[in-house]
Amino acid sequence: MGTINISRKYTAKQKSYLPAIFVGLKITMKHFIKGFFFRKNVTIQYPEVKRDYSDRFRGMHFISVDKNKTENCTACFLCETVCPADCIHIVADEREDEFNPDGVKKEKKPVSFDIDALRCCFCGFCEEACPKDAIKMSGNYEMAVSSREEAFYDLDHLKRDIKGRGKIV
Amino acid sequence: MSNNLEIEIKKPKLDLNYTSDKKPVHSDANPDVKPLPKVTIDGKTYEFRPGDTIMQVAERMKVHEEIPRYCYHPGMPIAGTCRMCTVEVEKAPKLMTSCSTPAADGMVVHTRSEKVLKSRTGVMDFLLTNHPLDCPVCDKAGECDLQDYNFEYGPSKSNFKEEKRVYVDATTKKLSDKITLNMNRCVHCERCVRFTDDVTKTNDLVMVNRGWHKELEATDPEKGLTNDYQGCLTDFCPVGALTMNDFRFKKRSWFLTKKASVCDRCSKGCNIEVHSDADIVYRYIPIFNEMVNGHWMCDEGRTSYNDFMNPMRVIAPLMKHEGEFHATSFETLLTDIKKHVREASSVELVVGTDATREEAALLKDKVPALFGKSMNVSYHNGFISSLAEDKKLDHMLRMTDKTPNTRGVEEQGLLALKNGEVTSDVVIFFRNGRAGIPKMKANQKVILWGVWTIDEVKNFPSQNVLAVIPGLATIEKAGSYKNADGIVQKFHPAITHRGSALSAHQVADVLKSLN
Repeated sequence: MGTINISRKYTAKQKSYLPAIFVGLKITMKHFIKGFFFRKNVTIQYPEVKRDYSDRFRGMHFISVDKNKTENCTACFLCETVCPADCIHIVADEREDEFNPDGVKKEKKPVSFDIDALRCCFCGFCEEACPKDAIKMSGNYEMAVSSREEAFYDLDHLKRDIKGRGKIV
Repeated sequence: MSNNLEIEIKKPKLDLNYTSDKKPVHSDANPDVKPLPKVTIDGKTYEFRPGDTIMQVAERMKVHEEIPRYCYHPGMPIAGTCRMCTVEVEKAPKLMTSCSTPAADGMVVHTRSEKVLKSRTGVMDFLLTNHPLDCPVCDKAGECDLQDYNFEYGPSKSNFKEEKRVYVDATTKKLSDKITLNMNRCVHCERCVRFTDDVTKTNDLVMVNRGWHKELEATDPEKGLTNDYQGCLTDFCPVGALTMNDFRFKKRSWFLTKKASVCDRCSKGCNIEVHSDADIVYRYIPIFNEMVNGHWMCDEGRTSYNDFMNPMRVIAPLMKHEGEFHATSFETLLTDIKKHVREASSVELVVGTDATREEAALLKDKVPALFGKSMNVSYHNGFISSLAEDKKLDHMLRMTDKTPNTRGVEEQGLLALKNGEVTSDVVIFFRNGRAGIPKMKANQKVILWGVWTIDEVKNFPSQNVLAVIPGLATIEKAGSYKNADGIVQKFHPAITHRGSALSAHQVADVLKSLN
């Protein structure tokens, strides 16, 4: 028992600190020259220029629609079941016949489909659980809102027009 | 609890064998006669009642896991059509259907041999040939026999690549205002047809056509289903072919919390399971009780949870002030009521026959003393004037008396309200949403207690309602009811009340603290 001494023994060179300072200064100067004289910048001009993320980036949710603008969602509650953050709330009902051209394939519909983005942890489980590929996560990472209410995505918001994976360019 | 609250169960003389046309073979055999014959199931030897089939022996002796079945149901005559329950019997050349093969002395049965499992896999493969893969939108998912057995016995891969059969006209067909049929999901076990033929005896379902085109239809397609036990069809349908409109698409089955309780819609007192999520009830389903309701339950009782889940139900103490009702606290309300009661020349306490035995005892013995005023305590039913009038409405379960506890209240020594009419100055009326409302004058002072909706309070025969004391419904409280057959049934809360209503005993405690 007792304490274990884990303190290092420093050499005279390390104790003087000066060589380490010069190594750091060398790296700083390298990037300064690269950026200042050769215009190779690391930063981007964010609001004007958007950062390009991976295709698998999980951003703001959306619900895919078919050619009649009817949502593909059949309110099966699998996303609500699998959601670890309890942020999805669905109310289901029978779909009327005129919105049901494919017969039995879409007999059920979501009356309301709310996602509480403030609770969401963007794990993407809902996307994986969905048997209809209805709920998806877009490449949109701009989710800042000015009030809490705006962070509750309802069905109208989720059914918005999305091109491809909804990446912002 | 005093001594008179213990469970007393008298063996009633009940005709529970609703399928009386087809009596079981062993109806005359005496099970007490020894020695009983023996059968060996999966290496264990069991004694059985002569005449039982292999399935019934396994059920009665609780042999490990259940033998899978689609067409067999303990409450219905045996059909032996689905071939899912086949077992291997030694010395028999082929597999036998355990539901319809009578057990014999010295029989050796294997329920999970390799041959049996292979046969079940084959049956599952054929059943799934045409079964649509719409579990995500099917209400039965999660409690579906086809899902469970496919997980256990089914082939991992289908041998068929053909298009699945689709009944275009019967994908969502309303058989009545209560039942929706999706014929694509049907596995043709015909439990529903046998139920209407032999249990309700209404013969309102029939299978038309044969083979590939076999289809379930109402016998009279214009009238549709007409019996009063339609909800049972959805209970025993092994797949999601028959679904109840009342529950359809409301909730997925795996979210539901299940607690036992007693139905209070009539004097039968069917045993029910309350299915709720976050203390909101979504449905009742019957629990098997040989002495009360068998396997079944009527539709009226099944949908009666809607009365308690009514958004217009009074769940806060209401006091009338200058012609308007205002929510207040129990202390203020009861102080006010006490004043009214003490000022009145005569006070009457009417107990609805939907009060539990415990509540009836409390109201009779303690409440008048807590108000400090002698009261005339009586009970009111509203449906029948004497117990002799409580009759069966059909050969199954439904009763004339639509309140659960007339016998239990009478047992506490209460007398019926004379002519069903109240005469006193002030009336306190305790009712849990089931009992009828007594006759009274239009300006009689009334204090309502128990389960009420705002509409009931506003349209009350007497326009002079002073206050409403909210109470708990059957599914929210503990107590006991004495049913039409004299069976006392205790129950515990199935859900927690989310409003600010208090049980009768808690209100009595508040009254006591005010003294």
